[in-house]
Amino acid sequence: MKFILPIILAIATVVLIGVAFVASGTVVGKTVGIEAGSAMYGLTPKASTPDQALTNLLVDVKRRNWDQAYGEISNPQVATKQQFIQAWTGSYGSLRTFSALEGFELRPMHITNDAAQMRVRLHWTTPIGPLEDVRDFHLAKVGDIWKTVWSKTDVPNVPSQVIPVTYLRWDLVSAAGDDEWGAKNIDAPHVRIISMNPLDFAEGAVVLGEVVNEDTIPAFVNVTATLVDGSGKEIDEETSFDKIDHILLPKQVTPYRIDFPKVNLKNVKNVRMNVKATLVPASADPVIGVMNQKVDPDYQGKSVLRGDLLNESGQTVNIPHVIASLYDNNGKVIWVADGYVEHSLLPQTAAPFEIEIPKNMVPKVSNFHVVVNQYSMGRN
Amino acid sequence: MRRLCLNCAYGFLALGVAACLMAALAASCSAQNITVPTSAVAGEPASIAITGSGKATLYILGPGISTKQEVNLGEDLKLRGDALKNAGDYHIVACSDSCHSATFYVSAGKPASLTFLVHPSRVPVSQQDAVSGVAFPFDQFHNLVFTPQTINFQLSAGNASLLNRSVNTQAGVAWFRTSSGKSAGALQVVASLNDFNARRVVQQVASDPCNLRITGQRNAQGILVQTEPVHDCSGNPVPDGTIVSFTATAASGKSTVDAPIKKGVARAEMEATGSAVISGASGVVMGNEVRVGGRP
Amino acid sequence: MEPTEYSERNERTVVSATQPPRRPIPLLAIVLLALMVHGPLLMMQLPSGSFDANFHMFFASHYAHHWFDPWNLKWFGGFSQTTYPPLTHQWIALLSYIVGLKMGYMLVQLIGIMLLPVGVYRFARIWVDDRAASYAAVGCVFLGSLTFLTYQAGQLATVCSAALYLNALPYFYEWMTESSVRSLIKGIAVSLTAAAAHHVTLIFGALLFAVPVLWTALVDAHDERVAGSVGGVISRAAIFAVAVGAGVGLVLMPYWVALIQHPIHQIPIPHDSRANFLLNSTTAINYFLIPYGLLIVALPFIVIRGASSRRLIPLLMGFWVTFIFGLGGTTPLPRWLLGRAYEILTFERFTFWATLLTLPIVGLLAADLIDRFRVKAAVGLALAAVFTFGAAMFWLSENPFRAAFTQINVAPVDAFLNRDGHDAYRYVLLGFGSELARVSIGTTASSVDGDYNSARLLPEMTNYGSAQLTNSKFYGSAGMASLRAMLEHANRYGLKYIFVHDAYYEPLLTFVGWRKIETFDNGAVTVWSKDDVPPAHPIQSDAMPTAFQGVLWGTLPIGVSFLAIILEFLLPNPRRVSGAVRATVRAEHSVA
Repeated sequence: MKFILPIILAIATVVLIGVAFVASGTVVGKTVGIEAGSAMYGLTPKASTPDQALTNLLVDVKRRNWDQAYGEISNPQVATKQQFIQAWTGSYGSLRTFSALEGFELRPMHITNDAAQMRVRLHWTTPIGPLEDVRDFHLAKVGDIWKTVWSKTDVPNVPSQVIPVTYLRWDLVSAAGDDEWGAKNIDAPHVRIISMNPLDFAEGAVVLGEVVNEDTIPAFVNVTATLVDGSGKEIDEETSFDKIDHILLPKQVTPYRIDFPKVNLKNVKNVRMNVKATLVPASADPVIGVMNQKVDPDYQGKSVLRGDLLNESGQTVNIPHVIASLYDNNGKVIWVADGYVEHSLLPQTAAPFEIEIPKNMVPKVSNFHVVVNQYSMGRN
Repeated sequence: MRRLCLNCAYGFLALGVAACLMAALAASCSAQNITVPTSAVAGEPASIAITGSGKATLYILGPGISTKQEVNLGEDLKLRGDALKNAGDYHIVACSDSCHSATFYVSAGKPASLTFLVHPSRVPVSQQDAVSGVAFPFDQFHNLVFTPQTINFQLSAGNASLLNRSVNTQAGVAWFRTSSGKSAGALQVVASLNDFNARRVVQQVASDPCNLRITGQRNAQGILVQTEPVHDCSGNPVPDGTIVSFTATAASGKSTVDAPIKKGVARAEMEATGSAVISGASGVVMGNEVRVGGRP
Repeated sequence: MEPTEYSERNERTVVSATQPPRRPIPLLAIVLLALMVHGPLLMMQLPSGSFDANFHMFFASHYAHHWFDPWNLKWFGGFSQTTYPPLTHQWIALLSYIVGLKMGYMLVQLIGIMLLPVGVYRFARIWVDDRAASYAAVGCVFLGSLTFLTYQAGQLATVCSAALYLNALPYFYEWMTESSVRSLIKGIAVSLTAAAAHHVTLIFGALLFAVPVLWTALVDAHDERVAGSVGGVISRAAIFAVAVGAGVGLVLMPYWVALIQHPIHQIPIPHDSRANFLLNSTTAINYFLIPYGLLIVALPFIVIRGASSRRLIPLLMGFWVTFIFGLGGTTPLPRWLLGRAYEILTFERFTFWATLLTLPIVGLLAADLIDRFRVKAAVGLALAAVFTFGAAMFWLSENPFRAAFTQINVAPVDAFLNRDGHDAYRYVLLGFGSELARVSIGTTASSVDGDYNSARLLPEMTNYGSAQLTNSKFYGSAGMASLRAMLEHANRYGLKYIFVHDAYYEPLLTFVGWRKIETFDNGAVTVWSKDDVPPAHPIQSDAMPTAFQGVLWGTLPIGVSFLAIILEFLLPNPRRVSGAVRATVRAEHSVA
């Protein structure tokens, strides 16, 4: 017993650990709080297949084990380690710099004895919610293992220059505290809902349209919609949330969309709209142009509205957010789509964007209007 | 049933006792006489005379005030001005062997300040009945002055006088309503009462752009498109910062730029390789369209 | 309690009178050692930066103000504190009137730590002699797992409950083997006190600690080492179990009502103690290397020594099962055995229990080593203990999980919430970590967030696999989705103010319509607001305990702790026979 029981316990322990190890498939579980740490030495599976090689690379990227990840590419000469890291972590305070790779799905496209092409759907967690990214990777067999062939990514390089900016800015001076009658208050900006269209969509209802700032001062806008049934009872109340450009400069128009998940429009008798506008300090810069907009199919056959964002100002825009109103033949807003751009917009440079258009809307779309909302570090 | 009857009997007994007490109190109170001022003014002293002899407890109950003091009956009681700061009804109750009460009214003093509310703070030019103002005269103790006062309203833009109207207050309020002027800029609104002035400023702003015209020309980067100086229908320049949306439609797709007006003109760079049709709009106002040819 | 020990130890004890001192270390000295080691650290308030310390102080703060009303409006728009046994919090609340909340916490923690060697000593004596038991008790003072739980995790209730439970188990053994009514009464009282301190320890302690004790009692009865028969042991164990079960049912009645009414149905929240340690070196260090320290080196010897005696096998098996559970996702056993509960529990406490279960055998090994190598062994063991303790203290500041050791200045946040009617609205903190509870203690405003997963009922939180909103980003997409859902319903909950201590959240707030309105502490904290939010109104909940439950909650748990203290004085243990005499007496019951 003195030795039999220890042996039994040792074997049982090893077997249990082995079972868990095999069951996990060495895929990393969710790590809360940290991205550091790696598998025990020798436990990283050998990259004997293209799948495994790419998995190893992406697991290391996920854990930010950059030394190991860089070592898993076949052609380190095309990019320095710093460039390799920057390709994954983004730059200039872009959305990618705030993001972390959360998961991935591999799909082989083409495999031969010594080369392979894989398509990967990358799942990123970002401050504004989950984002997906699809990328193709080439892999090559080096000796008896596979390695990822790294393709060089061009990081925008803005030449040194001086861009004169005539700053347009509204500042707000609050009335002194002794103004107890509010006699010196400034009126809230006048904003108006210029269109509203409720419709059923997927498993819920949406209310969408456009709002204009009719005033000569900037407005901070939130649109709220309340659905009311036949008996006058409120069914649900939601706000435009991030489907709107909240800061409207004078005469600026923004689309808005309010989602009501799990509400059937058949039960709705009335929609109460409420637009709340507040006077806020604001800047007229940066000006972002939306160039070459057109509706095209993407590589998966989905219809997307794509184009380029051109930063016409002298300051970097860290996170651009594109919101588009889609109109039918009669000029009625039939959908509001939006999307975040993961690259920052450097001054005087362009970056591509894509917004997916729902399949059933595509035939009806005759025109569109795109506005760009933005987050710039230290200025919002 | 028996319990009910008992309750009724107790109820009637209590009512009877209460009625007797009230009658006794009323009879005893009529034994004294209080003379109150016929016209008292807030902040000014007043005197009260109470007939009788001996000592009594005097209660003064007024708006935001209640005091209790011992007084000698038969002597005039001087009320200090700071005891009568608030305008309104005051109740005097004097109690010795019995209680006696009287009421007098304290009216507001002379106007000492003017509260002036003007709406809106910002108004487009040439709007009918768009500007209104309300004035309230108050005395030095912030009592609303109900006696009719003449308040003079003056509206001026630059050096030009737009309105000069005297209005008597009714129930302590005077007001006016007028249209906004034709020129953008600060509208000075002054309410005057004797030596007191209250000044407010209404910003008259340009209305919607009128006859928005754009021009476009190709340059090395693409197309430079800009507006002519943007004015409203009264000829006022539209404020800087107002957004003009430029849209260029070309074979390569549609391009849009929301450009703010700076120094009266909105300007933007558009990317379009071939020929393009460019239009401009500000809010719900549409401008003209221009066609710019492709790069030679 | 009737002592039991090994023949070889007894023989050596008898024949080696000229050897170095074989006397046990006096228990009082061990308790003073615990006080000396942990007292200064606690008086320096070192655990105040641990993960759960603020949570415990927050609960205590509520009891200090509303002793008989466990409905707390400050988190989740209102939640019931009957979802967590109240004993430690109520003791902190009582002490807070004298020494303040934070020092109250430290004192209760110190009491727990000082009770632990007493418990370990008494628990170890079920299997080993006084000397080995005293070594075990000394060892527990330096346990890496204790240091980890106290200073890094802040698991006050786990430590206190375990200490109480270890003190209850010898009574259980005495009752089973000697039919001592005194032990029965005291055992029940101390068990109920342990249950009133921590529910998880009660549930799993019953299996992992009590079963080896029961098994040992059966072995002893079978071998006639004790007076009772096997049948008697079983029947008395049943009586004890029924009595404790009924008592726990009554003492924690509001807890069971809350649990039955609102079973935990939330989406599982990831926790690193459930990870496979082989696949993540940081997790392995945090949850295995640091808690075990140099005990890892001793593990093979512990297993061999434990297997060498029939009496020690129950303890060894208890240790092994607990050890496997402590490995979290490194083995599939916990998931198989616990099912859905696996996703709710965290497993670092199992490691703590495993180290406690191993201490009696470690005490034996230490005695053997000292007998053989004398001063060298003593020095070596002391160094090993200090190294284990020191490594855990070092890891405290070096681990990537560390909580806010550079504490956020929360005073401006509280000041803002408490002025100008801001407390009419609800608030959320982002990037504050465990400081969330500290802010909540100092303000009259309520939050929709909170730092206690089991009390959450708002669907914006339970429908996503993340815990606190303040830590949203650490839970990846699930965390951010939960935060987005809450922000979408800001108007519904009267959520008007958000305090940000991590610029990561600023883009989201910007895009969803919040505006920065104030900055505190040189920009370290920013305040964001939404203009159209109406004042908060009470959220109707069927989880609100009744007034009767409030009275029970405010009297029974604290009452049983007083009862246990009184019984310890009223029913003292009879004076024990000295170890040397016992050794001779029990030599005939050799089992080796």
